[in-house]
Amino acid sequence: MGMVNPGGIPYFILEFGDELVYFSPYTVSLFILALVFTIFAVIARPERQVDIVFGGDAFYAKETSLAELKIRRFMAIACGFASMGAMVTGDLFNFTLFISLVGICNVGIVAAVKNRHVQNAAYQYGIVALSATVPLFGAAALIAATTGTLSMVELWSNAALAVPLVVKALLVLGVMGEGMAPFYAAKAEMFRAPGAPYVIMCSLSSLLIFLRVIEVVLVI
Amino acid sequence: MWQEYSIGLLLVFIAAVIAFFALVVEKDDLHRLLLLDLVEVPSLGIIALLGTDLAEALILPGLVVGIAELLALSQIYVTKEGLKERKVQGLNIEVIQADAPLIISVLLICYGVILSGFTGGGVAGLGVVFYFMARGHREHFELLEMASGISWAIWIFAFFVFMFIPEYWLLALFMAAIGILLKVIVKMSLVGTMWGDGNG
Repeated sequence: MGMVNPGGIPYFILEFGDELVYFSPYTVSLFILALVFTIFAVIARPERQVDIVFGGDAFYAKETSLAELKIRRFMAIACGFASMGAMVTGDLFNFTLFISLVGICNVGIVAAVKNRHVQNAAYQYGIVALSATVPLFGAAALIAATTGTLSMVELWSNAALAVPLVVKALLVLGVMGEGMAPFYAAKAEMFRAPGAPYVIMCSLSSLLIFLRVIEVVLVI
Repeated sequence: MWQEYSIGLLLVFIAAVIAFFALVVEKDDLHRLLLLDLVEVPSLGIIALLGTDLAEALILPGLVVGIAELLALSQIYVTKEGLKERKVQGLNIEVIQADAPLIISVLLICYGVILSGFTGGGVAGLGVVFYFMARGHREHFELLEMASGISWAIWIFAFFVFMFIPEYWLLALFMAAIGILLKVIVKMSLVGTMWGDGNG
């Protein structure tokens, strides 16, 4: 062993040939978090957003139609599954794929809302997410080119395999573009979308992939 | 080898910088969407530079994810701009209203069937797309969908044969080739009808 994994010693490593999934204390806790929130998204009912008219007693409630609710719930669940995959995968390319899936699902969760502002924000976010696939996939390909492997276990257990700092930076840049919460001004506009449990899935998945990419950058 | 890789990488990065610069300068939303497709290409280029079997295996999921995002974005664009479906009743060109589309389509389909596999499906599909685009035809879409589904099942079944009874690999190979051929043809013809008539 060359280096100690900061996420703890894996409980077990599930191998499908080269593609592996590993459960260390860190990845397991993130995985459980994603799982719990996915279950919440399945059973929760959407909030009814209420706007108060300023200076009076009047208010108007925004109803979420059933069709809209269904597609948003589906997207939130898909987002949960993609986050779960991104949490435990031990293969770098699969990691980038899961991250971009999280990006698509985040766009999908908000895009179902028929509100021009929300649609506009979702569109802008989608543009950033799509252009972020360049550094994201680029980083994965460069890691494969410089070290000859995409397996994180291989990368941390073999001290001879060093990933250049620039490539790590590209990976983080790509993940940021796909939807790391604190870096998005556009997301604030997206949160105008009514329907609490599903929109929260956007933030939560951003938080989770943010936490995971730290671990990934530290171990590779 | 490393030198070639570095030169390739440099070229791809220059291409990416140009594409990103265009994206920054462009203000029209639709044009930005089109430029995104251009941005997508360098990312595939970086993967392709690996030049191994692995690269081939990585490009396909990368491409699929990119196309999925592009489709999602274009759908959002259509909704956001409130664009309605336009009725296009075939192409109003004299040559196309004669028998030319039929002949060209038949040629393309024959060639596609000879090629077989994914490429053949693409070529034959193009023939069908062309035919549907030239004529504003009403077809039974359920039938096309069903054919697509069955061919997909054949394709998957062929993969199971590869995995579990590999001694019948030749049969599986033919099944997979025919399955993917039919599937790609049907999918592409559906694209043609959607464009042509607006009732797909």
